[in-house]
Amino acid sequence: MDALVAQLQMQYRNYTVSLYQQGFLDDQFTELKKLQDDASPDFVAEVLSLFFEDCVKLIGNMARALDQTGTVDFSQVGASVHQLKGSSSSVGAKRVKGLCITFKEYCEANNYEGCVRCLQQVDIEFKALQTKLQDMFNLEKQIIQAGGKVPQVDIN
Amino acid sequence: MENMESVSNEEGRTDQFPVGMRVLAVDDNPTCLRKLEELLLRCKYHVTKTMESKKALEMLREKSNMFDLVISDVEMPDTDGFKLLEIGLEMDLPVIMLSAHSDYDSVMKGIIHGACDYLVKPVSLKELRNIWQHVVKKNIGSYKKIIAPSRHLLPTSEYAPSGSGKRKEKADDSGDGDDDSDREEDEDGSEQDGEESSNRKKRRVVWSQELHQKFVHAVQQLGLDKAVPKKILDYMNIEGLTRENVASHLQKYRLYLKKLDEGQQHNMSQDAFGSRDSSYFHMAQLEGLRDYSSTRQLSSSSLLTRSSLTKFHPSVYSSVNLQGSNSSSFIPPGHHQSSSSSANPFGTYHSPLLARSQNVNLSPLEPLQFPRSKCSPFMGDFKGIADRGIGSSFLDSRMSFGSSSTSLPCATSNNLMLQENFGVSDGNQSCLNGLSSFPSHHSWQGNLKTTTRFPSHSLPLNHAFGQDQMTCGGTGLGDYNTSLVSADSHVGVLQCEPPFLGDFMQNMNTHKWEEQNCTMMNNTFGNVDYPLPVDNNIVFRDNNATRSKGVDDSLMMSPIEDSATTLNSRECVGNVTMMDPEMRSSTKLENDLVDNQHDVFDDIMNEMLKQDENNGMVSVAARFGL
Repeated sequence: MDALVAQLQMQYRNYTVSLYQQGFLDDQFTELKKLQDDASPDFVAEVLSLFFEDCVKLIGNMARALDQTGTVDFSQVGASVHQLKGSSSSVGAKRVKGLCITFKEYCEANNYEGCVRCLQQVDIEFKALQTKLQDMFNLEKQIIQAGGKVPQVDIN
Repeated sequence: MENMESVSNEEGRTDQFPVGMRVLAVDDNPTCLRKLEELLLRCKYHVTKTMESKKALEMLREKSNMFDLVISDVEMPDTDGFKLLEIGLEMDLPVIMLSAHSDYDSVMKGIIHGACDYLVKPVSLKELRNIWQHVVKKNIGSYKKIIAPSRHLLPTSEYAPSGSGKRKEKADDSGDGDDDSDREEDEDGSEQDGEESSNRKKRRVVWSQELHQKFVHAVQQLGLDKAVPKKILDYMNIEGLTRENVASHLQKYRLYLKKLDEGQQHNMSQDAFGSRDSSYFHMAQLEGLRDYSSTRQLSSSSLLTRSSLTKFHPSVYSSVNLQGSNSSSFIPPGHHQSSSSSANPFGTYHSPLLARSQNVNLSPLEPLQFPRSKCSPFMGDFKGIADRGIGSSFLDSRMSFGSSSTSLPCATSNNLMLQENFGVSDGNQSCLNGLSSFPSHHSWQGNLKTTTRFPSHSLPLNHAFGQDQMTCGGTGLGDYNTSLVSADSHVGVLQCEPPFLGDFMQNMNTHKWEEQNCTMMNNTFGNVDYPLPVDNNIVFRDNNATRSKGVDDSLMMSPIEDSATTLNSRECVGNVTMMDPEMRSSTKLENDLVDNQHDVFDDIMNEMLKQDENNGMVSVAARFGL
């Protein structure tokens, strides 16, 4: 059982580190993890849930705004991008945040093609992140089920 | 502002400040707000959060003494962060601005508008740990006199027993006579130590009938919603009148108007009358609304005549606390319409007082001085009472702690705070449990420190009060609150009011963001083994389903990919495949372990994925499953 735990823990560490290395996560995510403790054991999960819900909602808004037959209200798109940028930045969703910066520029330039492309990318990215984090949480769960503790992972 | 009494009475404020410092956090982004809340909780502050600036304004106006500091995003698209700033300033509350913009102009704008600090998102814990200093700065007089000595923070020469400090401040008041709680006096005292204050003594402003009329005229011209102190000040154009003077008067005026509005709507039992009307009464006097005997028509002329003034009984003053009120209930006095039952805007409020006042001599108008807002159990508004049917007597609630009405406010306000804090708790159950955890045997302050966090995995909470299943109905709370009766007798602390219950109920039932939080907690982020009841509203991919597609084909990317896939995602894919060996092994394990798990993943996610697969290059909206 211990060997299993150790193995899982190693997997978990490696996986987590890779997420940072691949640019999925940044130090804000680390901060988020620091805020989780016995008093709020599900904090990270909770905030990330909120974030992903946010993503779905905002992407929907943006898609609708971009789908207008006739003139597109770029300011409306931009408002959603701003929100998304805020959320992604606060949870450490680095790639999503990066995309939002580009996206915002396209909005300001009223660049329809650019906006549509960014929107697609944002959709892909957030789902990818969702998957990654899902896997990470699953690993945590397995560790716990195997009787171990989820290790603190030091980045750099 | 709080007087020294209240500072010393509030536990957690003097001994352990900044622990328990009461922060109102406003941000329309739920993710950011939740994180902010947690950061603030980590600093051991007491947090009330809301996504709506409007709600925040309401809370500030209704319970101006319930917060020490406001922290708010200023770029909320539907709401105005600057308006919140204005209100906070009106109440002399420090307001910290949060923004994603760090450019010079934005920061300058914030500071010019009066923000005491401007933080750039994302905010760090370190920054938030220091925000308490803004609270001290605003109340430096009180802190110097009370907290500093107890913590030995002053040079020994300045140690005066707090009694003499108090005496010094009282001496400043001597001109007030009975009124020992004028707001202007507090500003005096809170500015400097005694020796310096004489150099910088603010002129005390007396709101005479004329001045008040000018004020009202200004407000009416501007429109109550747009009537901000600065503009009113400019409009009135009175030499020597400061923005602060106008701000505090405005606050009181709003409260008065609110009461008027409610007076039209509700019939109050005479019991619930007592001295609470006094705050109302001053305004009413200024307004010249004294013609009780002629009951029903209130023409604008009668409203503003001086002739019908009566002298206000001074003893009622001291216990009054005026608070700001929600401007949405503004009814310009000049346009008072007759309500269906009675045109008298006070409804039945004033009838007992009427009787009293008729015995009082009519004397020439004396300038009225409004008591400063301070903690007192008298505040508030009758609406909650009417609604709840709590017909208890408010007469001199300082003495009658036994009345459930006084305990009730306390409970509800804290519940309001508690329930707004239950971001981490799970569902409606926890709202109630939050309630039930309200302590009866500890001072509410003390317990607030420990019960502001609700571990999501435990319901009910450990401090469960003994009534674990409470309904959200008034009766449940009624029961609950009577048992609070014997609690805490800190007068200064009980600054809550029945309407909180009303608000609380409202919040419980209707407040969107709250519900969101409820549902939030029911959704685990994923198949995490935390003992949360897992619900079905999770927007996550079905782990099993996608895994079965094979880890090899770039994992979950494939359903989403279409011919428009960018390089970016291909990179991801490439990287992801490198992970395969590890993922596979963990997948295998997971599949073994996971079979018995209830499927926590949303079908929606699958739907979306499927849709994406199917729709090649279709419209943008359709692509996103809309």
